Amino acid sequence: MHTVLQVKDVTKIYKKGQKPSLHKVSFQVCEGEFIGIMGASGSGKTTLLNVLSTIDKPTGGDVYLNNINLKSLTDTQAADFRRDHLGFIFQEYFLLDSLTIRENISVPLTLKKLPPDQIETMVTDLAKRFGIASQLEKYPNELSGGQRQRVSAARAIVKHPGLLFADEPTGALDSSSATELLEALKEANSVLNTTILMVTHDPYAASFASRIFLFKDGCIFRELHREKADRRRFYEQIVDEVAELDMDR
Amino acid sequence: MNTFYMAAKNLKKKFSFYSLYLVSVAFVITVYFSFASFSSNAVILEKISEDGRVETMCRTIAVFLMIFVIFYMSYSNRFFLRRRTKELGIYTLLGYRKSTILSLLTFENIFVCGGAFIVGIILGGLVHKGLVCGINMLLDLSINSQAIPFWNWDAVRRTLLFISAVVIVLMISNGRFLYRTSLMSLVRYEKSTERKMKFHKVPSILGIFMVLGGYALALDIIRGEASVWVKIGFYQMGLLTMMLVVTGTVLFIASFLPYIMEKSKKRKASFYTKDKIITIPSFIYRIRSNAKTLIMLTLLSAAALTVSSVMALTLYYPIAAVQRIAPSEIEFRVEKEEQVDEVKQIVEKELPDTKGVSFTRTDLYKVCSSSKNLPPEYSLGAAQNDTAGGESLREPGFECMSFASYQALLNAQGRTNISSGLTALSDKECILIKYQAAQGDEHLDRVDSGRANRYSLMLDGTKVLVTVRETSLNNVISFANSIGTLVVSDQLYEQISSGTSPVTHVFSINGEAVINNEALYDKISVYLDASPYLQGNSHRINELLHLNSSTFLLIGFLVVLFFIAAGSILYFNNLSSVMDSRADYEILKKLGYRKKTIKRLIRKQILVFFSIPFLLGLLDCMFAALIYKTGLMQNILENSLLLYLPVFIAVGITAGIYLIYYLVTVRSCDKILFRADRV
Repeated sequence: MHTVLQVKDVTKIYKKGQKPSLHKVSFQVCEGEFIGIMGASGSGKTTLLNVLSTIDKPTGGDVYLNNINLKSLTDTQAADFRRDHLGFIFQEYFLLDSLTIRENISVPLTLKKLPPDQIETMVTDLAKRFGIASQLEKYPNELSGGQRQRVSAARAIVKHPGLLFADEPTGALDSSSATELLEALKEANSVLNTTILMVTHDPYAASFASRIFLFKDGCIFRELHREKADRRRFYEQIVDEVAELDMDR
Repeated sequence: MNTFYMAAKNLKKKFSFYSLYLVSVAFVITVYFSFASFSSNAVILEKISEDGRVETMCRTIAVFLMIFVIFYMSYSNRFFLRRRTKELGIYTLLGYRKSTILSLLTFENIFVCGGAFIVGIILGGLVHKGLVCGINMLLDLSINSQAIPFWNWDAVRRTLLFISAVVIVLMISNGRFLYRTSLMSLVRYEKSTERKMKFHKVPSILGIFMVLGGYALALDIIRGEASVWVKIGFYQMGLLTMMLVVTGTVLFIASFLPYIMEKSKKRKASFYTKDKIITIPSFIYRIRSNAKTLIMLTLLSAAALTVSSVMALTLYYPIAAVQRIAPSEIEFRVEKEEQVDEVKQIVEKELPDTKGVSFTRTDLYKVCSSSKNLPPEYSLGAAQNDTAGGESLREPGFECMSFASYQALLNAQGRTNISSGLTALSDKECILIKYQAAQGDEHLDRVDSGRANRYSLMLDGTKVLVTVRETSLNNVISFANSIGTLVVSDQLYEQISSGTSPVTHVFSINGEAVINNEALYDKISVYLDASPYLQGNSHRINELLHLNSSTFLLIGFLVVLFFIAAGSILYFNNLSSVMDSRADYEILKKLGYRKKTIKRLIRKQILVFFSIPFLLGLLDCMFAALIYKTGLMQNILENSLLLYLPVFIAVGITAGIYLIYYLVTVRSCDKILFRADRV
């Protein structure tokens, strides 16, 4: 499997003299992996996600996405890069209120200038897979939180991004909605081979990942591999590690 | 910390946020104060108002101005309140009483209005001074500008009183809002989403048909006698047209535009593009809450554009018509032979150099005709009831002049291009000078149409048949001295002059040196004992400027104020919408929309909201101007697009104002989205 993402000594300092939010972070992600990023508030998870997704620029180090050094991208190139290679899911859904669900999911495809018929087919197919086919003509404020987050996931996945970033995607969901969303992400990961990087506080959500980075003070504190363990066992392992991390504070 | 200091601190901390409010209120106060100063300026009113007309107009306009200011300030106050509801909710959560919050808002308003008042009276004083100087120069009123104080204390007092009243109105309005809104609603007010609305086919279609129907009715007026405006009545049709256009506009904006947009979503090929998939739904979404504002702005825009265009027409048309009413620089009817020499002496005495001054004497012979198809000019002014006194203004008949005199006068008046284009008249041909521009099929009475009119002239009992080779609006004698002018061939003229037809002598003075020479005109007028037959081109223009410019100026105040209000409302509305959708643009950025594309999306959305009131208002104004011009104004000038020049100028200025506001709005919206230190 080829490497999709390569992070080399990435450092992010927001203000001179302050502790770095990220300190010499390095790791690699291969195609088709489902990565979980965990850590306490302020540990650098979201900063990492912003830097990796071209929204923010690192103070030092390099990030290679599909062998492209993100440092070398101009604002416009970064926008095109996001359009062509990245997908996003956020805790607050971030759907466009003025657009219907169908239109919301279609936006990334129109940006890629796909033909309208193909857009409609792709949106309808994915909506069926995410269980939101009957909601396509509705507006976001007519949907429940879980449904909205599935729309957000569908919008991120529909363009088959090389890398999908999810920032606390289950943070605002009840347990059954959260499970539905995570199942959908898992399916996209296994069926569509979408590489996923998910930031989460929740060990249950993290247990869906194949590998987990535990962050503390801007550094990777520990790396967990699921390997052949079942999800329950992996969950317990995560809980133990998180508890240990919390006790060390 | 008491509320007074809190308010002061708030203003200091969020100055950029409040500066918008301050600037717009200062703008409005500037206009109000300059108007108040103008209407309290006894020196200038004495000069431009002879019968109290201007004073009455000032009082009427003052009422409109006040309504505008109150409306505009309430709107901007509500805008800023809306942006701060969450903050007010937090104050309430912290235990502040609503009365304390109200006093905080009131102090803030007092500070802002106080600041705006100071700025307003300084700028307003300057504008007033500028206006007085402008009028003084334009109308040559010989007012000593130094004698007019920078600040008229009566106007300052009136403005202060009015602004205090506005602050009280705002306090009541804010109080109502605060006491009627629950704590929960306060905290969540900003996030309240738009209601979902369905746009129905029937009102949409009805809207477009009503607007088009109104415009079709307006166009019908150009059919002249055959139009419904003449057959049914001008006022009935005017009312019907206005009703159709107003109702149609309401339905057009509230139903038709969103309906069409909704339908356009079905055209997949054009909808699934990176711009339209965002702009069309966003327009439909915004129109739900903004339809009322847009309708109001469109109707006000139409009214202001129409008023300014009609005013411009009213001022411009009579000035353009002076060329026909008094074509010579000075012209009078010679009633005593010695008058010619006396007037010549006056001219020589008044002018240091009479080089280029021409004196032309024209003899007009009154000739009767026995034809049945006589033109209206033949008997115009000859009816007994044409004057208040019951006596007729003139005897019916043609006033004949020779082709040679006609050409000579054209040349003297500097209209050489017309003169050189004329071909000599054959023996029995003539040129009929029309009073009004051709209407209906009148333009057909020419030789080349094959339906040329022939008139039989009665010369000492002999009938002479003349053929109208052409009709013309290029009269060389004023209407005061000749209406039914017939330019005849020199041979026929000789025959007429040798007979016993009654003759009138008209003396015309032209040339560079006599243009705009009011002193000379006054001297001649005194000598001729203010004869009604004395006419002067420049004199008439000056008289019209003097009569109309004050009206124009006062209406101008209203129109300017309206455009400031409309532009600012559009500005705040768009700014508010961009602030509300800031998160949306962040999403678009993350989805891969380039900064350039997002800027373009914003420009397009703002442009739509600026275009609707401007374009619909413009259409309404064009049709209204057409109705006014055709139905209510005398038509003595040749119909040409040039006559609508003032309308084009008024529209051009409006477009300029809208464009400036549009650019400022786009710039502010870009700043909000792409600058780190956001409001």
